[in-house]
Amino acid sequence: MNSFLRKNIVMLVTVLVMAVFLTAAAQGMEKKDFVITLLRGLAVGSITFLVASGFSLIFGLLDVLNLAHGTLFMIGAYMGWTVVVRPDTFVDLLTPLALIVSGFALGDVYPLLASRIRLGLSLRRLLPWALILVSILLFGFILPRYPIAIWDVENYAQSPVTFSFMADSGARLPVMPAAFTEVTMPSAFIGLLLASVIGAFGISLFDSSPRTVRLSWKNFVSIAIALIVAIAGVAFNDNLTAFLYGLSSNWLFFVAVLVATLSGVALGGVMEATLIRPLYSRPIYQLMLTLGMSAIGIEMVRAIWGRPEFVMPKPAFFNGGGEACPATNFADWWANNCSTILILDGRVRVYNEIFIPIVGLVVLISIWILLQRTRLGMIIRAGVQDSQMVEALGINVRRVFTMVFALGVGLASLGGVLAAPSMGLSNLMGESLLLNALIALAIGGLTSYPGAALGSVIVGMIQQFIIKYGQIGIAIPFTEIIFKPTPPLVPASTVMLMVIILLLLPNGLLGKKE
Amino acid sequence: MKNFFISHRGSLLTLLGLILLPFLVGLLNGASPADVFVNGNGQSKFIQGLAIEIFILTIYALSFDVIFGITGLLSFGHSMFFAVGAYLTGIAIKSFGLSLPATLGWLVVASVVQALLFGLVLPRVKGITFALVTLGLGSVFHILVMSSEFGEYTGADVGLQGVIVPAFISPATERLRFYFVALTVMVLIYLLYQRFVNSPTGRVCVAIRENEGRAQMLGYNTFYFKLSALLLSSLTAALAGFLHTLYQPIVSPNTAGLGYTVTALLILLIGGVGTLNGAFVGAIVFRLLDYGLRRYIGESASFINGAIYVLFVLFIPYGIVGTWRLKSLQIKQGWERLLKMFG
Repeated sequence: MNSFLRKNIVMLVTVLVMAVFLTAAAQGMEKKDFVITLLRGLAVGSITFLVASGFSLIFGLLDVLNLAHGTLFMIGAYMGWTVVVRPDTFVDLLTPLALIVSGFALGDVYPLLASRIRLGLSLRRLLPWALILVSILLFGFILPRYPIAIWDVENYAQSPVTFSFMADSGARLPVMPAAFTEVTMPSAFIGLLLASVIGAFGISLFDSSPRTVRLSWKNFVSIAIALIVAIAGVAFNDNLTAFLYGLSSNWLFFVAVLVATLSGVALGGVMEATLIRPLYSRPIYQLMLTLGMSAIGIEMVRAIWGRPEFVMPKPAFFNGGGEACPATNFADWWANNCSTILILDGRVRVYNEIFIPIVGLVVLISIWILLQRTRLGMIIRAGVQDSQMVEALGINVRRVFTMVFALGVGLASLGGVLAAPSMGLSNLMGESLLLNALIALAIGGLTSYPGAALGSVIVGMIQQFIIKYGQIGIAIPFTEIIFKPTPPLVPASTVMLMVIILLLLPNGLLGKKE
Repeated sequence: MKNFFISHRGSLLTLLGLILLPFLVGLLNGASPADVFVNGNGQSKFIQGLAIEIFILTIYALSFDVIFGITGLLSFGHSMFFAVGAYLTGIAIKSFGLSLPATLGWLVVASVVQALLFGLVLPRVKGITFALVTLGLGSVFHILVMSSEFGEYTGADVGLQGVIVPAFISPATERLRFYFVALTVMVLIYLLYQRFVNSPTGRVCVAIRENEGRAQMLGYNTFYFKLSALLLSSLTAALAGFLHTLYQPIVSPNTAGLGYTVTALLILLIGGVGTLNGAFVGAIVFRLLDYGLRRYIGESASFINGAIYVLFVLFIPYGIVGTWRLKSLQIKQGWERLLKMFG
């Protein structure tokens, strides 16, 4: 006990000082304000945590500082919006996306194929480039001609803002289903599949390390799933669209969360396999690569969804109104599905301030169980300690790397789609959230999982308390002056806290000493 | 002496080309050198403007190269060094009416102070944590610049504008003089950096980049070497900011943001990290690319920029100059083999 005190004295004093500040902040405002601010802090903290936890898992195991994480969070939000507001676009997109992924799903077969090819050295070096070029040309030919019913960024009446606004008021704009006109359906289907397989084969040729793979039916499960999705997307296009349009907004929201998370997982897997993997020997370049990816991602979002901000409609479950609202207790809320609830006389928005923290808690616990109680979690924890040693023990660390990267990006996408109804969608939401997550991790400890949670909550709390005090003002003791923090102080305060904590504890509050 | 000319023929030719550039462009457009001398409007003036921007970017990229490429410190707050110079110059001239030499004096003080501020952090944090702390310091400065409390001085989120530049160096009327001033400053800074890298101090800085623990084992107090690199970098970046304010009609708060640090990183990546010439080559490519893309593609230019960035990282990681140096050895070897073959 004594040695624990001596070792962690700085950390304990820091935590104590922060606790004192929290009590001081609580004294300064009314009880209902305090509760609301606390819940809002928790909500912001939960969203930050979803981004920060994935970031810290990736950094801990792969040593990759993924600066594109905020952009991936944003892409998750926009994906979720698409499913909720334009299900027909989503259904149209299913087939081409599944086909693009299907080539990469065949990853284990390529080494076998490559070992059959006997070529001269220079040809062998040229082959992957030629294959990738062919694949890009095929994609470039087919994808622009593939029919997808989509909104029009240039035309206000057909822009995402209008669709979002209409969906929020419960109506839907009529949309024209897209039809195959410039290419026939079978040729587009086969062409995309071929392009994807050729491209994936070309990329796999870069990895020259000899591997012996024994094929079994397991290697073909993922491509079978991708192909089934692709075929279903074409064959039952109208039925699927009608089904999604017919769903209640609660179920649609659930589907959106699922789709955004899964697409995040897929995106993360592909990104790690194609872009991050060649650069493990040059860590600084990985960092620069993710920076570039983040710029590309933001521009793509701008090109597809446009620059204006809009909000994803909340599911009806959290969006009730009328006479009975605001609800006075949870039973009352359950009966009426009010959008707000009275807690200690303060109006609390159920979705923003109760639902999101609960999801955050659920994710926190489930990832904790994954890390502590499963074999994969054991490998991850061991890999964070020393990944070379784990590899030496005969575990395929590369595969675990891909899985963790996919998991991290999936968590960020989940955070994005959850934040979309409360924070709204904008091109810059990713960057500000990434800064928050970085600060949270620096405070909590870069590779520490509980540290990510603690840091996120601290960051969320501080921001919300300062925003609240910006409204009511702080009476400075012994003077008449009332100090009102201005909005720019919100990010500045957390940044200053980060700098101070890093100077006191270079490894963060819960980080391990090197 | 003859050796000197031969071994530096590339640099000397580039310098000569840059000196003649305004007149050559003028001649191509039918303007006589006399016209160019009196700053007649035309293609030459436009090209001079573009070149001045490239020189300023080069100075800025060089200042990042000395801490990132030479000493191996990854700082995400580097744009603060530049923005402090830019904003201080603007405020000193506009709000306090100082003369240029007095402004430069304050600039030196400010850049030493901020280098010491970054230096305060140095012994405590390393690697990624240093990047995060500097990112934090940089963002605090960015927020301060953007905040409305200092709007009177900094112009808040609109940017600092309305700085009246002394007439003898005004970029509008005396563009050619400004061009040569910027060129001279760039060349001097480049020579200074060349000297720094080849000096014993610079050698230790390279050693710190390669392996800090080993450098410490050899008895060097690495803190002082890193601090001196930071000081040099801060002074240079502030000088680039000074020129930027004099040249541009408006200082945007974006110059203090993370994006501007990434610009420096991108320039170095294109040119070659750790090679001093790379900063100049990278600045040329970056500025011309940016200009061309914005002109012909418009809004989505940063998409292409990002794509180029990713392609460089994946396929030309040593940059243009770095790759050239690697390949030139191969070319020389091939040439020697060819000579051996024939006799």
